[in-house]
Formats: sequence, C-alpha cells, structure tokens
Amino acid sequence: MKNMKKFCFLLNSLLLCAVMMFTGCGRAENETEKKSIRIGVSLYQGDDTFINNIRGELEKCAKAYEQENGVKVNLDIQDAKGSQNTQNDQVERFISLGCDVLCINPVDRTAASVMIDKAMAAEIPVVFFNRQPVEEDMDRWDQLYYIEAVAKESAVLQGGIVVDRYRENPESLDLNGDGVVSYVLLEGESSHQDALIRTEWSVKTLKDGGVPVEKITGGIANWERSQASALMEQWLEKYPGQIELILCNNDDMALGAIDAMERAGISGICAVGIDGTTPGLEAVANGKLLGTVSSDKERYAGAIFTIAACKAMEQEIPPEIELVEGKYYHCPQQIVVKNQ
Amino acid sequence: MKVHDILHNKEKKVNFLWILYGLVLVILFLVSSTDLIIKEETAKIYPISVVIGDVSDENYVNFRKGMERAAMEFNGDISFITLYEKGSAAQQKELMLREQEDGSRALIVAPVDAGMAAGMQQDNLLTVPVVFINTEKEKVEGLNNMAVLTFDYHAMGCRMGERILEEHPGEDKVYLLEGEKMNEVDMLFAQGVRDTLSVKGWTVFLIESAGENDWAQVLEEAVLIAPNPESLLRAAQFLVEDEQSKEKVKGLYGRGSTVPLLNYLDKGIIQGLCVTDDFSAGYLSVKTAVELAENRPVEEMGYLESYDIGREDLRNEKYEKILFPIE
Repeated sequence: MKNMKKFCFLLNSLLLCAVMMFTGCGRAENETEKKSIRIGVSLYQGDDTFINNIRGELEKCAKAYEQENGVKVNLDIQDAKGSQNTQNDQVERFISLGCDVLCINPVDRTAASVMIDKAMAAEIPVVFFNRQPVEEDMDRWDQLYYIEAVAKESAVLQGGIVVDRYRENPESLDLNGDGVVSYVLLEGESSHQDALIRTEWSVKTLKDGGVPVEKITGGIANWERSQASALMEQWLEKYPGQIELILCNNDDMALGAIDAMERAGISGICAVGIDGTTPGLEAVANGKLLGTVSSDKERYAGAIFTIAACKAMEQEIPPEIELVEGKYYHCPQQIVVKNQ
Repeated sequence: MKVHDILHNKEKKVNFLWILYGLVLVILFLVSSTDLIIKEETAKIYPISVVIGDVSDENYVNFRKGMERAAMEFNGDISFITLYEKGSAAQQKELMLREQEDGSRALIVAPVDAGMAAGMQQDNLLTVPVVFINTEKEKVEGLNNMAVLTFDYHAMGCRMGERILEEHPGEDKVYLLEGEKMNEVDMLFAQGVRDTLSVKGWTVFLIESAGENDWAQVLEEAVLIAPNPESLLRAAQFLVEDEQSKEKVKGLYGRGSTVPLLNYLDKGIIQGLCVTDDFSAGYLSVKTAVELAENRPVEEMGYLESYDIGREDLRNEKYEKILFPIE
C-alpha cells in the first residue's frame, strides 16, 4: 500500500513537471518573434493578365513588408497552368516545405476540398482569391479566407458605363439608328461564378437603365484574348454591320474582340470590359475600349498579403481589412472611362 | 495412451503453427507500415537562394522555369530574391549574407558588381558555394567553391554588329541607347557592337537615355540598338506610337527573350534579337548549385550558347523550343 502511494506521488509529480514544461515552452515560443515567413502562392493560370497583375502587386507587398518589419518574406509563387491536379501537388509541396500560410487561386472552385483537407491536417491557414470555393468548403474551418471583387458590383458598374454613354450620345451605340443596340457577349468560363453573375447583372443594368438592347449572339472565350479574338472574327463575318456593342466579362476578352476588329479593318463598335488590367487601362486611354471596371489591385493584393502575413506571424488581422462574416474581403471597384 | 499422445502432439503442432503465423503477421506489419525494420529514406532537401541584380523577375521567366524543373529533380528548395532597388550592389551583398545566415546551402547570384561578389568570396565572407550567372566570366573565374554559368555578351554584341552591317549596307550611323542603369553585361554587349561597327567606319552615337525616350528628339536617320531588354522594350513601344520616329529608324536591334520583345519582333518593330537559352541556364544553375552543396566536382562549362534571330526564325522549331519551353 505504501509503495502504491509512493508510485502515485511520483506519477503526479512527473505529470505536473510535464504540464509546466509544455506551458513554459509555449510561452517561450510566443515570445520569440519570427524572423522570416514563408507564403506559398498557387495561381490557376499565370498568363491571365489580371492574375499576373495581382502577382506583381503581391511581390511589391512582400518587399514593402520586409523593409518595414525586417521580417524576411519567402514568397513561393507557382503556376498551376489550369490543372487542378498540378495545383494539388503544389499545395502538397508547399506544406512539405513548411509554408506558414497558403494563398490559393483555385483552378476548380468546386474541388477546393482536397486542398482544404491537406491544409487543415497541417494546420496551415489558407487565403483563397479570385475564384471562390463553394460555401460548404469555406465553412469547414475558421482559418479559411476569401478575397474578391464582387462580381455583381463589377457587372452593375460595367452596365452603368454603357447606360451613361447611351444617355449622352445614343448614336454612338445605336450605329444603324434602328432604335435598338444590338450586342454580342463574350463570357468567361462556364464553371466560374463570376462569369454567370457578370453576364446576368450587366445586361440587367442596361435594361433597367433604359437602353433598348438586343442580343445577337454570345460565346464562352474562357477569359482569354485569343479565344475572344477568334469568336469575334467569326461574328464579324456572320453578322456584318449588325454588331453595335461588345459586352465582355473581362478586359482580356474585350481586347481580343478589338484585335479582331482591327484585323477586319472595322471601327466604331464599342466594347466594355472588367478588371482594369494594365493593357485594359491602356486601351481605355487610347480610346479603343469604351470603359472598364477596375478593382483596386493594390488593395486586392494588399488584403491577400496582409491576411497571409498576419496568419504567418500569428497576429490579429488589422481592422482596416474589413472582413464580412469573418472571412470574406470585398475589394472596392471603380469605373474607368477615357478622360477620367 | 498412444492415441492420446499423438493427439496431444498434433495439438501442440497446430498451436505452434498459429503462433508462427501470428509472428509472421507482426513482422510483415512492422516491415510494411513502420520504420522499425526497413527505414524509409528521407529525401535531402537543399535550400538554394537565387539573388538577381534586378527589382523584378521579368527577364527571368524561362530561367525560373528551368530552375523549377531542376529543383524538382534534385530536391532543391528555391528562394528567388529580387532587389529593392535596381543595380544596388550593397543591397545585393546584404541579401547574399542574409540568405547564407538563413541556412541556404548554395547561392545563385547574378551579380550587380562581379568584382564585389568575387571579393566577398575571396574575403571568406561567403561560406557556402556560389554559382555566378549572367556576368563577366573573367571577374569571378578561379575562385574556390564556385562555378560560372554565363553567356559571352561581348561576342553577342559583335555578332549583332555584323548582322547590322549585313542588313544595312547603305547606312553608317547607329544610335546606342545606353540607359542610366546599364549593368556590366549590358556594357559588354554595347562594347561588342561598338567594336564591330567602329572599325567599319560607322559613327556610333551614345545616348544616355533616362528611360523617357528622350533620344527621339536628337534622332536622325539611323539604326537603333538597345543593349538591355528594358530599353529595347521601351524603344519598341515608343516606335509603335510615334510614326515620325519610326520613319527615321532604319532598324531596331537588341538583346532579350521576353514575350513582349518576341511579339515586337513578330510585328516587325524589332528587326533582330540576340536571345539566350535561359531555360537551360536556369536548370544548369540549380543542378550545379546542388552539386557544389554536395561537395561534388563541377565541370567547367565554358560559355552557354546564344543566338541571333530575326522574324523568320520565330517559327523555327529549334528556336521555338528555346524561347517557349514547355515545363
């Protein structure tokens, strides 16, 4: 009995020591500030102009952060080239290389759960951007964030550019004077939530704004300039003299349509885009593009980076990053037209 | 009694077989699912830092593709580092030392000042191996624990000069756009062009452009050469917009293999480009860095190959592979 008591006492003492050691270690870890952070960034398609702009801004944010805080930022940016399998491999590699946080622009928004599983298992927070994982996935963990330019807002602003132009000078849109603005539509990927919303609300805004519109045709150009250019070339041949407006889900496709018009020697048809990419803004300044909706890319990338850096440094996200439901950040947008 | 013994022995044998079977199962489990008997080899990862002399990786797109391929093959963990300020040798030195301190097993450096980088090696400031890229070979050659992977920029300039002599027999004037932030390799290239054209009686006007296309005001009818990719891109963009200057320029030539430059070559704005096989350079730099980190002997590679191309060469399979490598 005595021996039993001794044994219990010894066991308790050992347990107490262990608890004290672990809590002590934890405090020491928190007290030591990190000198470097590692952020893994996976892009759905590196040659997408908008994504490329965001990539550039992210790199600027990382440099500014290093200079301001003296913390080394290892930004590992990878291009998934439109393959979800490649992206899954990249996420696995980021985890095995010890990334503190992941920033993912998903290839397939419906297939984010695999990446989330891996990140959850490794306890690495994830900041998604540009392509929103389904809500059920976003609700699985409180360390998941999503940065976006709200698609409905972009579309309403895009529609507004056309409405304003029509009110100012209806002849510049109704080129044949039949009282109806005949338009063609260039859409992004059918699986991308933004493509559907941008199309729906852009057209709705035109109608609500009193622009008499009629759709000639439309096609999916997958956000790409070359695909849009090919489609537009076909339409110009098929509907000669009928197209008066080109509504595009993004700037790259609008520029593709303009390329086709230039090749065909046609001018006067107005095109509008979304994103405010560097070539898009140049085209607006040159008068080639009627207008675009520009999301503030500095703020967009800034929000991605700030959340990622805070998570990596185990700090609170600053209040200036206003998160909706604690995980969504909506980047502000504005209309860009010539002489603005 | 005999029968009972036989039965008893048989029971013993069965029990023994069951125990043996159990043991085999346990051993198989240990072999297949744990590290206790057969230890799985853990891949050795080599952290390698690449410090370039530029503020962005615009001119390193294919180089990075090659690097990433090699990193996968040779277990490299690459940190690609750009400067905060273009052409700052002091900053590059600081970053090289920081990376070494942070545990890099080897450095790949495109030096802003090759002499300074060599000095760091000579003064034993660098304890990890260094692979120098895109630099003047003579300045860093012969140091310990290092390798050089570079192109012969002077020869590239000479070849460009010869191409101009061939394509513009009636001309005798050339404008050399010397940007304010010319690095050592740009100067070597420019020197190569000058050496070739001067001996043939051409007048070489040096224009120290601050990057605002201010050269356009003094431009007379002549051939234009930009010794670095940035100034070449700026000149091409300018000529697209400025018809007056475009008429005066008899030909635009330069160095670089970025996609925008290749597009301008395709559109006929640029007449000739000196291009390099950056994918191979990236691949070889990481391979060499890993070899040096493992203390393995590294072969002397000489200069890497560079090529002069015109618009007609863009669809040539050989150049397509170099300029648009598939990862």
